[in-house]
Amino acid sequence: MRRIFLFFASVIFLVYVLAPVAWLLSSSFQGEAEITSRPPHWIPQQPTLENFEAIFQAREKKVTYETRRAGDPATGGYIPSTARDLLPSMWNSLVVAVSVVLLNLLVGVPAAYAMAKIRFIGRSTSIYFMLTTRVIPDIALVVPFFLFIRTFGLLDHLGSLVITYLAITVPFSIFILVSYFESLPDELDKAARVDGCSRLQTLTRVYVPLAMPALVAVVLFTFLSSWNEFLLALMFTQTPASQTMPIVVASFASDFTISFAFINAAGVLAVIPPVLMAVIFERYIVSGLTAGAVKG
Amino acid sequence: MATIRFESVGKTYPNGFAALENLSLEIADREFVVLLGPSGCGKSTTLNLIAGLEDVTAGSLYFDATLMNVVPAHKRDVAMVFQSYALYPHKSVYENIAFGLRMRGFEKNEIEKRVRGAARSLEIEPLLERRPHQLSGGQRQRVALGRALVRQPQAFLMDEPLSNLDAALRIAMRAEIKKLHHTMRTTFVYVTHDQAEALTLADRIVVMKEGVIQQIGTPEEIYDRPKNTFVASFLGNPPINYLEGTLSQDGRRFVRGAISLPLPIALPVQAGRPVRLGIRAEDVDPKGTGEQLGGRITSVLPVGSDQFLGVEVEGAALFFRVGREVRVHEGENISLPVNANRLQVFDPASGASLLWQ
Amino acid sequence: MSIRAGALRGMFGAPVSRYDQTSAMWLLAPMLGVLLVVAVFPVLYSFWISLFDLRLTRPHRVPFVWFENYQEVFQDELFWQSVWRTTSFTLICVAAIMVIALAMALLLNEEFRGRRFLSAMLLVPWAIPYVANGLMWKWIYDSGYGALNGLLFQLDFIDKYMVWLGDSHKTLWLIANAFVWKEVPLATILVLVGLKSIPADLYSAARVDGANVWRRFVHITLPALRPSFMLVVIYETMMAIRHFDLFFILTEGGPAEASHVLAWHVYVETFRKLSFGTGSALAYIMALVTFFLAFWLIRTLGRKL
Repeated sequence: MRRIFLFFASVIFLVYVLAPVAWLLSSSFQGEAEITSRPPHWIPQQPTLENFEAIFQAREKKVTYETRRAGDPATGGYIPSTARDLLPSMWNSLVVAVSVVLLNLLVGVPAAYAMAKIRFIGRSTSIYFMLTTRVIPDIALVVPFFLFIRTFGLLDHLGSLVITYLAITVPFSIFILVSYFESLPDELDKAARVDGCSRLQTLTRVYVPLAMPALVAVVLFTFLSSWNEFLLALMFTQTPASQTMPIVVASFASDFTISFAFINAAGVLAVIPPVLMAVIFERYIVSGLTAGAVKG
Repeated sequence: MATIRFESVGKTYPNGFAALENLSLEIADREFVVLLGPSGCGKSTTLNLIAGLEDVTAGSLYFDATLMNVVPAHKRDVAMVFQSYALYPHKSVYENIAFGLRMRGFEKNEIEKRVRGAARSLEIEPLLERRPHQLSGGQRQRVALGRALVRQPQAFLMDEPLSNLDAALRIAMRAEIKKLHHTMRTTFVYVTHDQAEALTLADRIVVMKEGVIQQIGTPEEIYDRPKNTFVASFLGNPPINYLEGTLSQDGRRFVRGAISLPLPIALPVQAGRPVRLGIRAEDVDPKGTGEQLGGRITSVLPVGSDQFLGVEVEGAALFFRVGREVRVHEGENISLPVNANRLQVFDPASGASLLWQ
Repeated sequence: MSIRAGALRGMFGAPVSRYDQTSAMWLLAPMLGVLLVVAVFPVLYSFWISLFDLRLTRPHRVPFVWFENYQEVFQDELFWQSVWRTTSFTLICVAAIMVIALAMALLLNEEFRGRRFLSAMLLVPWAIPYVANGLMWKWIYDSGYGALNGLLFQLDFIDKYMVWLGDSHKTLWLIANAFVWKEVPLATILVLVGLKSIPADLYSAARVDGANVWRRFVHITLPALRPSFMLVVIYETMMAIRHFDLFFILTEGGPAEASHVLAWHVYVETFRKLSFGTGSALAYIMALVTFFLAFWLIRTLGRKL
């Protein structure tokens, strides 16, 4: 009895969670003609790779009047010339995300260790300070940053995105790290110090290896936040050379003449890296979030 | 090597709690000193101050002639064994033991030599490649000892290292530690709340209560000549018996109702005043010739080779330990010869001993 | 080094180790530096800007106007509508997220084959960027060829394709659905963590006492989940209030301002009307509101712990 119930519940669960994505995937393999059918073909009857080809090859293929026409059997749908920007923009996103992750770790890990394990003047103040910065909405950052960056001519510079993203990622990262560090035994800290470790060495040689789950969780969160971030990237990047993936993908959406199938394909590509990362590191997320127990 | 000297040291925490006040103590080189007291008495704090894990907030701490107040922990040359062993979970046993040496820049060969030597003497050589979570409690304990051993430090600090072990292991380890002290010839500072441990291991015991030292002395001194009721009660199992009464007019005897007992020393100056008499459970000898203490037996508890007798004397409930050959039953009356030389006398108000100060 | 015992004093005058203090400061310095630059500075700067009438359309004349910008903002009817819409959006989303996350967490808490697979799949919506999420739902909601239309049509719930996002009555709900779909995984994990921490003994004791499944749920599970719920409510409220991406992709504030929420309002004011003064004022107001809301939430919900 329970089995049946669980089975049905699982099915509903999976449908809710995966169905929209499955549809996205399915649509991306359909040609323009198929995708405009009513009712829609849930499974592509004439699967095609042309949408993906456009993305990967648009760079080399020169977009001429002929190729444009070739790409749109039905009216209104065509594959945009900006398709070629998708891959470079993903590269931009990757560069930004990786930088943000590294900086988060460099900045966050020492700070979290200090707040979790060292008794110093201003400890509680630091903790409150860090918590309050989490509350600031991205919108509030946009205007001042925009003006600042514009004045200094740093628009379109990936560096400005990296710095800005720190604002939205560092507080949360430190929060995760502090809770995890706090759950690690204090006595290890004492043992390490008596063994001759300075505070920094205690951190690097003892606590960091033990905090792997939390570190992975931080990497994951930070990577995803940077990769997915839209508003700030929209504001700070004007040219395709510096645009990140969400911007390029969004630009497809606002153009009514673009083929739906293509948009879906772009969506699929945009989605693969984060989903892959999330699925691979799934178990670290839970254990990193819930300060786990340490044996020994 | 190292003399450790506390000069009027105080330790107050940021929240205002004063763990230690005006502590003065000198630990001689190569001594085995035990800090003994109930939880919260400040003994662990004192140990942490020696290690540098916490900081002195008043007074001065010296190693030999060097002031150590601002020297951070990792620059001091002490080794510590923790109650929970604090082994590094992600390192092998070998690495755990070698860690302190690595941090201090020892040569690889030297490290190898020392680690294996320590492992051999602690009989944990076969465990060197294992991880802490694969070891039993006793094995982890030895690894923790090994970690401290290899450093050959100026002082060994031990914070209740045996409390997590079962009884039999604890007793065996006590002997090991004592042996270690003889071989290492280093200063040992040992913290415990177990008075039997203190009596077994210490050259000198420091009894502490609420951040204040009650008495410092050899085990014998502490046991036979306690300076107040706290020290007298803390050592001895079962705890010392107390009888409230008064001094006789000539100051030579203790009087309570029909009971009268001679004191080890005459105290004529304080004749007639109220006093508290202390009798240890073992200070009665059924075969002895001393003056007798009479009372009614309220309970008989055999414990293997001995028995405990609960005796009611002049309204007070006392506990004595006698041999198995004494055949008595509940409700009977009994007269027990007392070893008067071992009686203690205290002031009932302050608890201070009137015999020893 | 100073040989006086403790020249540094902490709270209550008790000296703190100089070594600990300096090492802590060094370890903390990068974080403090970063946060000062990227969090404190913008907030202060945006407040400063909000006192000027700065328009990018005429960048050279920037009069100082004290709090006129704020006046303008509060007198704008659209602003209050945005507030209302944001509030309803937030309430709908948070409620839906709580219910669905609870259901999913209960399922994932059971032991059965394939549970790991389910957990892994759970993360898919969470990992998807909001942009892709928006596109995906836009396609699903499409009035010409969308899957929603197609599905309902095939199941005979409707007899012809309808307009979804373009219908101002449905807009907010549809956007809420997209938002909830993506936020549910994280909420589920938070609730699941709470579920796992309930000792099994409590349930055993309750069963011995004769409580059935429903009662066990109401009297043991729900109370024990209070902290998790609180966390979810606070976090998701913050997320919903400031959300922007979906509104940009799906409806651009329309149709006819049906989905014109606060975040969108700030965007329009700042980057479409190019009035940075009022835009800043709005942003600053939003920052303050979220700030106090967070505090208030933590206080009221936290007290019930």
